Amino acid sequence: MAAKGKGAAPRKDEPAIETKKLSKAFGTRKAVDKVTLEVPRGAFLSIFGPNGAGKTTLLRMLATLSRPTSGTARLMGIDLKEDPDAARDHIGMISHNSMLYPDLTAEQNLLFYARLYGVVDPEARTLEMLEAVELKHRRLDVVRTFSRGMTQRLSIARALIHDPDVVFLDEPYSGLDPHAVDIFDDLIERQRAGRTFVMVSHDLRKGFDMCTHALVLAKGRVVAFGPKSDFVFEEFADLYRHTVGMGVS
Amino acid sequence: MPVSLRKPSTFQQYKTLLRKDLEQEFRTKEMLTSMGIYALLVLIVFGAALGQTTDGFNLLQAAGGLLWTLLVFTSLLGLNRSFSHEKEQGCLEGVLLVPLDRSVVFLAKATSNVLFLLVVEVIALPLFYFFFLTGQPLGSGWPLLFVPLLLGTVGMAGIGTLLSTITVNTRGKDVMLAVLFVPLTFPLLYACASATTAVIVGADGFMDVFFLSSVLAGGYDVIMVLLSWVLYDFVITA
Amino acid sequence: MAQNRNKPIKLPEGGQRPDQWGPWAMLAGAVLTTVGFLMAFLFVGPVNGAAVSGVEMIGGSMVSSKLLLSQKIFFFHMPAAMISFGALAFGCYYCVRFLMTKNQRFDTCASVCMEVALLFIVCTMITGDLWTRFEWGVWWTWDPRLTTYLILMLIIIAYFVLRSALDEPERRAVYSAVIGIIAFVDVPICYMVTRLIPSSLHPVVLREGGMTGEMGATVAVIMIGMVCVGFGLYRMRFRQVRLAQRVEAVKEALDD
Repeated sequence: MAAKGKGAAPRKDEPAIETKKLSKAFGTRKAVDKVTLEVPRGAFLSIFGPNGAGKTTLLRMLATLSRPTSGTARLMGIDLKEDPDAARDHIGMISHNSMLYPDLTAEQNLLFYARLYGVVDPEARTLEMLEAVELKHRRLDVVRTFSRGMTQRLSIARALIHDPDVVFLDEPYSGLDPHAVDIFDDLIERQRAGRTFVMVSHDLRKGFDMCTHALVLAKGRVVAFGPKSDFVFEEFADLYRHTVGMGVS
Repeated sequence: MPVSLRKPSTFQQYKTLLRKDLEQEFRTKEMLTSMGIYALLVLIVFGAALGQTTDGFNLLQAAGGLLWTLLVFTSLLGLNRSFSHEKEQGCLEGVLLVPLDRSVVFLAKATSNVLFLLVVEVIALPLFYFFFLTGQPLGSGWPLLFVPLLLGTVGMAGIGTLLSTITVNTRGKDVMLAVLFVPLTFPLLYACASATTAVIVGADGFMDVFFLSSVLAGGYDVIMVLLSWVLYDFVITA
Repeated sequence: MAQNRNKPIKLPEGGQRPDQWGPWAMLAGAVLTTVGFLMAFLFVGPVNGAAVSGVEMIGGSMVSSKLLLSQKIFFFHMPAAMISFGALAFGCYYCVRFLMTKNQRFDTCASVCMEVALLFIVCTMITGDLWTRFEWGVWWTWDPRLTTYLILMLIIIAYFVLRSALDEPERRAVYSAVIGIIAFVDVPICYMVTRLIPSSLHPVVLREGGMTGEMGATVAVIMIGMVCVGFGLYRMRFRQVRLAQRVEAVKEALDD
């Protein structure tokens, strides 16, 4: 079997994420309604919106976990509807669930994912990632014994084991104490190089500080989208409060 | 450092998934101990239930059915467990993020369920014999017992894997699995109990009944496992 | 497919032409079934016209008029059984259509079909059981047909239990469609298995002899009547569910 490198080679000139009228509906309930976006490579997109605005649904569609009802989505130039498997090689995801097996050791967990992705030399890559998240000394311990912060760090290693180009963060801070949040941010910052990040978070200040692009959703529709330079935080916060108010009524 | 990926074959991914289940079980021994103890408890309940029977009662004729009662309840317990691990930390999503054929997940899970069930059967069967059948004149064809056992285990694990993937997302999942599993596997149980009884009793012409029942059980397995395999994609992505 | 009109619709449609036929179908069904009921007792003689006074020996078994009258149950039992299976077949068809299109309409169709099927299965079970009681003298035996219907009933009940245990509409629709398809495949296997495997416990089922013309006519009338009832129930229930969905959609649209 010849080494193919990554599945379908991403085209250089394509944006990291490009959606056209992307919708997810069941019956008449539209979770995501005609979202059109273009996120350049290396950007950090923060998605804001009240509960039920469709943030997570959008994220799951972009991460190929859920199929869009209509519209198109391209990730690194690969159509997600046509060839989700090719896109999956470029996708990493960190969510509030660690996606780690609590009864396996840190090393076993990473090896498992590395083998599934077909990483060449999974043992070396596992050690490298364990070192990167500073958990090498705990590699033989069962994940169940880890603190929430450590689990979330290991979750970063798991999500990046196949060196994805686009990383999705779904409420990654839930359950983390402030110290763990700092460590988490630090690690993410170190892994920024060349990668595109998309984050869903309830923490307005934090999401806004970290991002280069911001997207506000309400009832599945785009309320505002643009590079951060388009917004001033105070105005942005007002806009957000307005949309949240909309969501509650 | 650049990471190179080489797309693993479907069989390699299957092995990786299966190995993960076995590693997990090897570490906790949770499935095997809980299923084993449960099987023992069911045997004890049988003991109480059969305690009042007189000498005239032919236990041999009921033995096949009792054995399958034991296996159904034990496998229900195991099937319930098999997906709660995947759900606990959202691991199933982690697996679905990987480019792999969805039916591999089904095959790997069904295989691990078959393996766990077989191990439990290896423990429970001698105990069943020890408690109820010593001193009973077993039919000469009793070693053929393994045919219905294997067919029943494969069928129960196959459709059970699909059903437990469904029920792990529902409220009251333990009861839900039983509610779906028992009626849907009824034909298989009927055929397997018939084949098992035929070889244990070993009456005249038992081979005909045994053969017919085994063929029917095998047919059920083929149809249902194929159907579960085809429908699994819909279930797991929902 | 006629149903696959790809119209851009904002609200779930409901209450169109076929739905309006619902009440009329129900009425026709009620009339026909009643006529059939009367025919069964007044027009058709007991068992091919045989009548006995008191208790007599026929073919070596005790036969009374009560036993002969119990045969009348057959006129309702058979059509109900056939319609329940027909409704199940339609339900399965809609389950497949749903998985192909992910259109909520088909999910509603499938669940309403299953409701109608369950209703007729219960009718079949009750009439069948009464017959078993008079004919075989027991309330229950593990006869292939009885067993299959019991299992079928349990699976369909499980279908609804599953639906009520899921909150998310799309997931509920997918899961129940999968169960619907499996149920439809499982039931014939169940019948075959219980039928083919011999068991000492089963009483020998006497095949019904050929039907006389008047029996056939009565069965046909009841059959048509019950098809009308089934169709009417289906359309009316479908309309109700669909309109409820429509109200929800309107509410949501008003929210904006």
